[in-house]
Order: sequence, then structure tokens, then C-alpha cells
Amino acid sequence: MASLNQCLASLARLSLVAPARPTVTPTLLKFLVPSATAPLVRRASGGGGMRKRPAKKKKTYKMFRSYDLSQIEQYSLCDAMRYLRAIEVGRPPASVKYDLAIKIKTHKNGPVLRNSIRLPFPVKTDTRIGVICPEDSPLMVEAQQLGAVAVGQESLFESIREGNIPFNKLICHVDSQEALKQANLGKILGPKGLMPNPKTKTITNDLKATVQELIGADEYRERGGVVRIAVGQLGFTPKMLSENIRALMSLVKTDISNADENHPKALDEVVLSSTNGPGFSLNGTFHSTDEKVKPEDLQSVM
Amino acid sequence: MVGVIRRMNKLNAQLVRIRNGPGAAVLPQDVTRIHMEFAHKFNNGHMGPRKFWQDALPRLKYWNPAVPMVVNRTHDQEGPATLTLYFREPGATLKSDVPQPGSSTDGFAKAPTPAEGERAVTIDMKNRRSEAILKEFMDKSGAVPVKPTAQDELLMREVEEREVQSRIDYERIRKLNEEAKREKAMLAQAQSEAAAIRGES
Repeated sequence: MASLNQCLASLARLSLVAPARPTVTPTLLKFLVPSATAPLVRRASGGGGMRKRPAKKKKTYKMFRSYDLSQIEQYSLCDAMRYLRAIEVGRPPASVKYDLAIKIKTHKNGPVLRNSIRLPFPVKTDTRIGVICPEDSPLMVEAQQLGAVAVGQESLFESIREGNIPFNKLICHVDSQEALKQANLGKILGPKGLMPNPKTKTITNDLKATVQELIGADEYRERGGVVRIAVGQLGFTPKMLSENIRALMSLVKTDISNADENHPKALDEVVLSSTNGPGFSLNGTFHSTDEKVKPEDLQSVM
Repeated sequence: MVGVIRRMNKLNAQLVRIRNGPGAAVLPQDVTRIHMEFAHKFNNGHMGPRKFWQDALPRLKYWNPAVPMVVNRTHDQEGPATLTLYFREPGATLKSDVPQPGSSTDGFAKAPTPAEGERAVTIDMKNRRSEAILKEFMDKSGAVPVKPTAQDELLMREVEEREVQSRIDYERIRKLNEEAKREKAMLAQAQSEAAAIRGES
């Protein structure tokens, strides 16, 4: 009897449970759940007409996307400079910059690379330097190569008097000190804090040291998996640019190797571009592939 | 950064046009430097010089990287538009450190007076088209045009084909987008009308 009772109990349980579930369930299940006996067939119509499928879940990536670089054309520094100098011809050499973009294989979250560097040849950021020195002298050429935006003596005084002041730092070479005194520019330059003065070390006989002192260190920071920083001015020689790039790359590489173990980083690609020019992926070599073009050819006045 | 192939296509199209085209020419050895002066805006006959600077000068600079090419742009539209070619006198050797100002946008880089052993030839560019300026430039400088290599010709054809295809694709997508936009606007209008009717009743 006991067994019958058990049977009844189980039957009762069944009858109690069954109404709670929707009666269509078994039939629905037949269609929805792929049974082991029915072969799984995909039809173009989706089987159920206009049945809505759940929205496809967008795949999320933990790393920034990096590309297969096997098809990329990479350039030597001199080749890239030759093209960029051609594209930037006739632009003021102090205001056009070479920019470097360093792509890094890295996680989207986690710490970013961040550091500051004093480049061997500083790139002016927002310091625009004017240099007073005798006209048509080698000093004038030196000042321009150092990145001065306005160089000269009488011509510069004249433009200052006209209110045309393209610089925000003004230095004067000792040779032009007397001329500066006679020019009576104190009224114009004094209130702006631009008047050269031995006290502020802006009257100098070593233009290079003074200019480098006026230009501070450059900061860089990884954004979106890329470190972007200006590494040179258009007027730089290939050698100057390569030294700047080398200094920057060695620092970035140490930064990468010091990265947190949970968020490892690796160098992916280095791209050189200029203010108005396209980006050239660098292959790390220096000399041009065209034997006729020597590095010395790429340092003429722009 | 953008994908590799897309980047390469764009870059190659730009570079092949620097290597070839009007102005791609090798200057003779005795051309020491080139100086241009013209105004910032194109009125009063400064369009040709601007076009010459933008189209021909990059190609010249690519093929003659060692020749200084300085552009002096002024704000004086009434001013002259001249191109100065500097030649080394036969047999003369020039000092390597002749002071030379870099390009300027404020008229600071005036054409330097020819150094010792140098002679200057000027071309008046005002009120002339860039093609005419280039023709006179080629005659006076004795530059030899560069013939495109077989590889570059192939590349140029590819670039042109891509551009034709891109215009077709652009047109197709534009039509699709416009259609989608129109449908959306119609739907929005119908819905607002329906809401207005419901509001009235």
C-alpha cells in the first residue's frame, strides 16, 4: 500500500505543480530547445519568421586595437624628412614642428605613461623668442637655427615700434646692446616685461645657452594608447632630429619596461609627421634609401 | 591610430603626386637657391604665385632637397610677386655659410642680395597663372623634368582607380543615407500628427 500512497503523492505533486507552469511550455520547448534527436539546422529565414533575436552583445576589448604591421611601408628618418620638408616648403621653420606618435600595446584601463623630458635640442612650445643681434652676421643664422621667430637689429626695432611683436621672450646679444639703448624701446617693451636686461640674463653673449634656458622641459603623456610629442622644428638637421628621437625613445622604453606587471606594455609603432604633413611609420634606420640624398642635403635653410 | 591599409593608400596617393607632376624636375648644379615673395591673399594678382608655391615648389624641393627654397609672404597685396633664382657664376666657389633668413609669414625674409660669385635672375609672377610661371621657371633655370618610373605610373593608375571608385561609393552611400533620413523625418511627422489628433479628441 505504501507504494501506492507514494505513487499518489507524487501524482498529486505533479498535478499541483503542473497548472503553475504555462501549458504551452512543453510544445514551445520542442521548437526552441534543440533536442539530441532532431538535427540542428539553420535556415536563412531564422525558422520563426519575424522572431526578434536578442541584440548582439558588442564585444569589448581590454587592449587598445593594434594592427598587423606586416603590410606597412616603413621609412628611414632621412626619407621621411625629405618628404616632409618638401611638403612644408616655404613655411616658417620655427613654427612648423616634427611630431612623433609612439603607439603602445597597452590595456585600456590602468596606469598610463607619463613623464617629462628635456630634449637635447629643445622644441619651443609656446615660448617665441626674439633675438636682437647685428644684421647679416653669423649670430643671426645661429639665432634662427635655435628657433628665434624674429631676428635682427634695426628691422626688428622698426617692427616693434609698429606694434608687431611676434615673440614673448626677447634676448639681446652683447654686440647689439648699444643699439638697443639708442633705440628707446623701453616705453614699449618695459610694460610687457620684454626689455632685455643683464639682471634677468637676457643680455648675453652665449645665445645658445640662454635660449635653452628659456625653453623648459616638455611633458608627454599616453592618450588612447599613443604618446604624442613634438620632437623638432622644421629647421632641424637630420642629426638633431635623430638625437631628439633617440633620447625620447630611450626614455619611453624605460618607462615601458617599468610598467606595472598587471598592465604590461610594449612598443608597437613609431610615426613621424609634421604640422601640415602626413605620418611616416619609421623603421629605425637613419640614412636615405636614395644614395644621392645625403643627410647634409636635408639641412638647407627652409 | 587608423588602420594600416587605409593609411598606406592615403599616404601613397600623396607621395606619388609629390614625386611626379608639374614641377618634378632636377635643377642644374649651378642653381644655389630660390626665393619667392608674394602676398598672403590672392587678390591683386597673387593667385598664380600661391598656386606655384603649393603645387610646383614641393615637387622641386623633393627632387632638389639641398637647394634652399625660401618663401616670403607679405601682408601687402599691392606689393610685388617675384621669384628669384640664384646661380653660381661659372668657376666661382661660394662660401658655405652665407647668411640666409628662413621663410617668413610677415615679410621678414627679403630676397638676399647675391653673394660674391653669384648672380640672380628674377621672374615677375604677378597676374600670371602658375603654369606660365612654371614654364618660365623651367626655361630660365634649365631644370630637367623627371620622368615617372614604371612603378610610379602603375601606382598613379591605382590611385586614380581608387578615386573613381570612391566617388561611386560616396554617391551610393549618400543616396542610402538620404533615403534613411527622409523616412525618419516622415515617420516623425506622422507621429507628431497622430499625437496632435489624439490631443484634440
